[in-house]
Amino acid sequence: MKPENPFLPYLATLQNVTDLTYDVKLFTLEFNDPAVRKSFDYKVGQFVFLSVFGIGESPFTFVSVPYKTGLEHAIRRVGTVSSALHELEPGAIVGVRGPFGNCFPLEEYKGKNIFIIGGGIGMAPLRPIITTVVDHREDYGDLVIINGARTPKDLVFAPEFDTWAKSPGTRLELTVDRGDENWKGRVALVPSVVSELKLSPQNAIAITCGPPIMIHFTLIELKKLGFTPNQIVTTLERKMKCGLGKCARCNVGLKYVCQDGPVFTLEQVSELIEEF
Amino acid sequence: MNLAEQIRNKAKELLESKTVECVIGYERATDGLTARPLFVYEPEEVGKLIFDQTCTHNLVKYLLNRRDKATAIVVKPCDSRAINLLLNEKQIQREKVLIIGVVCPGIVETSWNQTSEKLPARCQLCRQHTPVVYDFLVGETPPTEPAVPKPYADIVEMEAKSVAERQSFWAEHFSRCIRCYACRQVCPGCYCSECFVGQLDPLWVGIRIAPSENQVWNAIRAFHLAGRCIGCHECERVCPVNIPLMLLNQKLEKEVGELFNFQAGLSAEALPPFATFQKGEKLGIGE
Amino acid sequence: MTQFISKRNLLSWLKRLTEEHILIAPTRVAELTLFQKVNRVEEIIFDFNNTALSPKECLFPTTETLFNVEKKDGQVELTPVTIDQKTVIFGLRPCDARGIALMDSPFLKEPADALYQQHRDKITLVGLACLTACPECFCTSMGSAPDDPSNLDILLTEAEDGYIVQIITEKGKALLPEELLSTTQAPPPAPPSPKAVPTEGLVQRTQQVFDTPYWDRLADRCIHCNLCAYVCPTCYCFDIRDYTDKGKTERVRSWESCQSLGFTRQAGNIEPRNTKGARLRQRFAHKLLYFPEEFGALGCVGCGRCVRVCPVNIDIREIITDIQKLGAKVEA
Repeated sequence: MKPENPFLPYLATLQNVTDLTYDVKLFTLEFNDPAVRKSFDYKVGQFVFLSVFGIGESPFTFVSVPYKTGLEHAIRRVGTVSSALHELEPGAIVGVRGPFGNCFPLEEYKGKNIFIIGGGIGMAPLRPIITTVVDHREDYGDLVIINGARTPKDLVFAPEFDTWAKSPGTRLELTVDRGDENWKGRVALVPSVVSELKLSPQNAIAITCGPPIMIHFTLIELKKLGFTPNQIVTTLERKMKCGLGKCARCNVGLKYVCQDGPVFTLEQVSELIEEF
Repeated sequence: MNLAEQIRNKAKELLESKTVECVIGYERATDGLTARPLFVYEPEEVGKLIFDQTCTHNLVKYLLNRRDKATAIVVKPCDSRAINLLLNEKQIQREKVLIIGVVCPGIVETSWNQTSEKLPARCQLCRQHTPVVYDFLVGETPPTEPAVPKPYADIVEMEAKSVAERQSFWAEHFSRCIRCYACRQVCPGCYCSECFVGQLDPLWVGIRIAPSENQVWNAIRAFHLAGRCIGCHECERVCPVNIPLMLLNQKLEKEVGELFNFQAGLSAEALPPFATFQKGEKLGIGE
Repeated sequence: MTQFISKRNLLSWLKRLTEEHILIAPTRVAELTLFQKVNRVEEIIFDFNNTALSPKECLFPTTETLFNVEKKDGQVELTPVTIDQKTVIFGLRPCDARGIALMDSPFLKEPADALYQQHRDKITLVGLACLTACPECFCTSMGSAPDDPSNLDILLTEAEDGYIVQIITEKGKALLPEELLSTTQAPPPAPPSPKAVPTEGLVQRTQQVFDTPYWDRLADRCIHCNLCAYVCPTCYCFDIRDYTDKGKTERVRSWESCQSLGFTRQAGNIEPRNTKGARLRQRFAHKLLYFPEEFGALGCVGCGRCVRVCPVNIDIREIITDIQKLGAKVEA
């Protein structure tokens, strides 16, 4: 059920706001209109624009999965809108516009080994992929999760590490750029973990998201290991305003990140003509 | 040797000796009549350089894109004041800039595909035919600078109007403003990495294009240029909807001149009034 | 035998239109010719080349409220803006009419922009054919012509004592009362021939020169003043912001330009497109490569406004010629 004016958001109320780290919060929303609650659907990888009325609108991917109720976003306090969201308490009304963009083709990934390589808040769009694979374990091959962050305090989904690690045929490799007095785990950059684990491209998909520099070096390692460009998937960011492919803000080459992305294979990224 | 030839010879010399990486000057525009900025990197290309009365542009702003690169630049006297302004405000380094100053005969009024014989008001009222700062001088310095009858005549005329008349005058002009910010982009004095109009918190102006916001934009820009505007008139030239911006800027130039006996850009060392606080200076409040 | 309207009848018709429509026509203000809302038909000028700004602002205003937000007792209510008034744009040139048709592509593609759609539905376009071509016009190289009736509802061509009338659409027919029309045997004046610009194979050539240093060199003199985008009939980038005043919030959109610094700046101070060359290239790549790839037509109508207005003479005709030459070299 789409509102006629594609600029008009649905109204939603914040149900829950929890701290995930010192600058990342988990927001759970529910639509005010019961008809929208019933009909709203999205796919893993898609995003919506969240509005704090009077402040503005910004795009955020879902970190929840569509087959469970509850819409969730993990948002880091970085800019104007995210900071305004961080000030809100449960009960506050926000706007939700979408869903926009393409999705991770999870059906196509069935039967394959899934390598999730994420850094910092980049884990947010990857989390629903992990949830889906863990919940439908037999449908997928091996699952390897390389989750990096600047420091242990920046690891976003710590409460779920146990569930992930205990899932059969799953390997969880955490790493930080800098440890602290309590950290007993690995201290290494994400790309070096990729090379250390010698991930095999055989029947595999590598999905990566994180700071641009991490993605850059991760791609180098994956290519060295023999991954082809259509075996590497990422979700990319650009400043967005309309989400409708009209205002041309997120135009990169022949594509609009809000419509043709944000999920791109490396093959698609290299076809973009303008450097990403 | 005419002005253009002198400039070409100097440019060739500077590029061949690698004293500079680039010479910024003028070339003929595609209408065959007016001029446009030219960046010359190779000595073989200096033949494109021209200098005549169609060379309206103030090229000094380009120096801000080349702060750490040795650059030569062709400047008219009004433009040269902009160099002093940027030196004054520590935006460029003197040793990185080689100034080819031109003794200016005055620029004629031009617009796309049109030249004329007419000198615009600013050239008619000009008191500096020799650049105020230069490394090489092209052209002959006139023996005396002309006396200027009735400076600020149009400002005095505006001041004589009633508040209501002035309000309605500006309301009408600002209603046409489309907030393209061409005035800001062309101005050598507007170089803030974040302009106040881009700020969200506090939201001084925002993106709405409407009369009251347009008024705030134009008025505050004029205030930010008080004591800094060097009078090149580029803002007014580029405005697509013919807003008489220089009336605002010159009004403030007149005020600063009367209050502080100061004019921007005449020397690189003179302290700008609104950026300087002297101990013992009277605040003029509650005294 | 062609349809004809006398100057007198034309003025009387335009006057009648102002009773039920907003009439937008070329007027003279501050030594400029601009499309403005006209209350008295005496303000309309008929003798002009083209307006300084294109008529796109009738469908895509410089600033427009998308919707209003009211917060009351913990509840939030959103009210979208609706466009109710019928409008007639009189005196637009065929190039500008094509500009509107090209803008339809991004705005009306799914999901359609509701406000643009409303403006579009309520606007009737009455064009004026060109009897002369400016030196910088090149409409015939961009799919239009000085006497092109496409994309208009009515086209008028000046003749002796009046105008030859071509009624093109049902909308146009409904607008112009038949009793004001007569006939003439005079043939329409021959249209002028604007200079040609080489556009054959331009899309491919633009792709070929995408990664060359040409753009950095060209951008040396660009001051990113946004004028090219703002005067252009087919540029449509916009910005969206919220405004709160006295407890009421509006979500507003305004014109923006890919040329402005910070166009692609994201939170966290990341700026993907931060060189002058890449920014300038985006404008031409969008018009000459991305837009035609997506919508099948070059995103330029050859009106010449950007050529007239650019303070540093970045001339799209010169650039197209350069692209053709450079592209051929790259291919070789």
